[in-house]
Amino acid sequence: MSGETDWMEGGGKGGGMFAGGGAMAAFPATELGLQEGIDGDFGALLRRRGTQGWGHCGSLGAVEGGGGVTRRGGDLGWAPTEATTILAFKFSGGVLVAGDRRATAGNLVVYDRADKVLQIDGDSLMAIAGVPATAWEMARMLAHSFQFYRRTQLQELSLEGKVRALSKLLRDNLGFVLQGVGMVVPLFATYDHLAGVPRLYFYDPMGAQFEAAEYAASGSGAGAVRSVLHYVKTWGGGIREMGRGDAVVLALRALETAAENDTATGGVDRRGSVYPLVKIIGESGVQTLSERELAEVFEQQRI
Amino acid sequence: MMEEPYRWVEAVANRREYVEQQLAGGSPIAAVSCREGILLLTLGRQRRKLFEIYDRIAMGAIGHPGDIERLRMGAIELASSEGFLRSAADVSLRRLADFGLSPLLKNSFEQVCGPPFLVRMLFAEVGRDAGSDVFLRMEYDGASHLNGGGFGGAFEHYGVVAGSVVVAGRMEHFLRSICTVEMSWEEAVGVLFHAWVLGDMGSREEKGEAEPAEVRVHALERLGVLRPEVALLERSPQPAMAWRMLPTEGLRGMMEAGLGSWVKTGS
Repeated sequence: MSGETDWMEGGGKGGGMFAGGGAMAAFPATELGLQEGIDGDFGALLRRRGTQGWGHCGSLGAVEGGGGVTRRGGDLGWAPTEATTILAFKFSGGVLVAGDRRATAGNLVVYDRADKVLQIDGDSLMAIAGVPATAWEMARMLAHSFQFYRRTQLQELSLEGKVRALSKLLRDNLGFVLQGVGMVVPLFATYDHLAGVPRLYFYDPMGAQFEAAEYAASGSGAGAVRSVLHYVKTWGGGIREMGRGDAVVLALRALETAAENDTATGGVDRRGSVYPLVKIIGESGVQTLSERELAEVFEQQRI
Repeated sequence: MMEEPYRWVEAVANRREYVEQQLAGGSPIAAVSCREGILLLTLGRQRRKLFEIYDRIAMGAIGHPGDIERLRMGAIELASSEGFLRSAADVSLRRLADFGLSPLLKNSFEQVCGPPFLVRMLFAEVGRDAGSDVFLRMEYDGASHLNGGGFGGAFEHYGVVAGSVVVAGRMEHFLRSICTVEMSWEEAVGVLFHAWVLGDMGSREEKGEAEPAEVRVHALERLGVLRPEVALLERSPQPAMAWRMLPTEGLRGMMEAGLGSWVKTGS
């Protein structure tokens, strides 16, 4: 490494070999991390280079210094945008999938109208927690590959094929996960027309798939949501036999509970008419609850 | 052969005659704009003839199954890669046909040492309203006919492919006389079936106008041995799910009902 430093200094002093030697000295090797070698992840590299976080994006209305995670004693850091708290559970009408609308980068709110419950095909939904850039691309890839299969093979991809397709995408993303960017922990819900039952799966970041018997949650508020759902399932009369109205109320209450102590989970913004996204998969396909319907539930149930 | 132009022209002419002979027996395919979208209909024995190509695009084809399959896969791949790289809104039937399929078909047809595609295809692209629906007939030599009413021609709310020009002409003559744009798809099934029967009669015996009673007898006879195939491209807010193959149960009733009423009003 000392050789590189000498070369840089030599260029700067002599100025004959490179006319721009002085300009190059503005990026000393130490800042580029050359002397230390490559350590840490992509985020660490950006921090070393002094790349600013979201705090400098004026259009987002953030105060300077507010963006990113400060991992090194107070300097502005960088954190990938992340989306949080999604849940899904089975009830009498199929599977209900819901998600809050907040996307965060560190302790900065990046977006409060994020769509985390994505329709993949006529009867499949993917809900995303983690980095939206990767998750939305995965959803797009899934939707296209399911359609491509249906169009070319003249038959629907099997349920198992669909569930594994997402598993494969997660596994392919492992490199990014290890670098500290791009981790996605999704839920996948669909309807099994052969067995006549709804199916719900959750995944780990490496792509292992698990079928949920009753409910699943992911994201930073998942702990609170799981506690609520476990309580209702065990002592609150059960979830599986619930009607549609009760199921919607339960989902909204669980999300509000998560938002209560998790800054990364967005609550309801009544003034801005921003409500969580709630979608239901039944035998006849996917149904999205309208904002008006959700507003009524919030009003009537005093959530 | 290229050194002797006359022989090349002769070879192409022979090839045209051969392909036309091969296609002559094909069961016609007809499509019309209706209130819900675009309806496509044909009757066949076993093989499927109507296909989904992309979000708003469908295809019907007569010809050799192997050739149909190659072109179908090619069309799906072209449309899908464009839709994935850019956006589904950037996939258009006109570009798919003119830049993707037409040059391929022309090359294959005129390179007389290789086999030609034995195929005639009908493409349909559903628009926001019936006025922006597109019907495109693609010939085995890469020539295409668009419904757009270019050069002063009238806009056509229908598209047809059949084994011969005469048969297609007979079907088009009938469809031109009936405006299906405001009809429900159930009514349009009857209209398309009537057009199909006229086409099918034409392919069996080349003769003039058929008597209504004859049409009915022929229709019932064919319904007894062939399987109807009907698909709808819906004007859906979710274009990725616009394509629907309609279940055969219940179709027969619509077909017979429609047939009766069109026979009464005359064609």
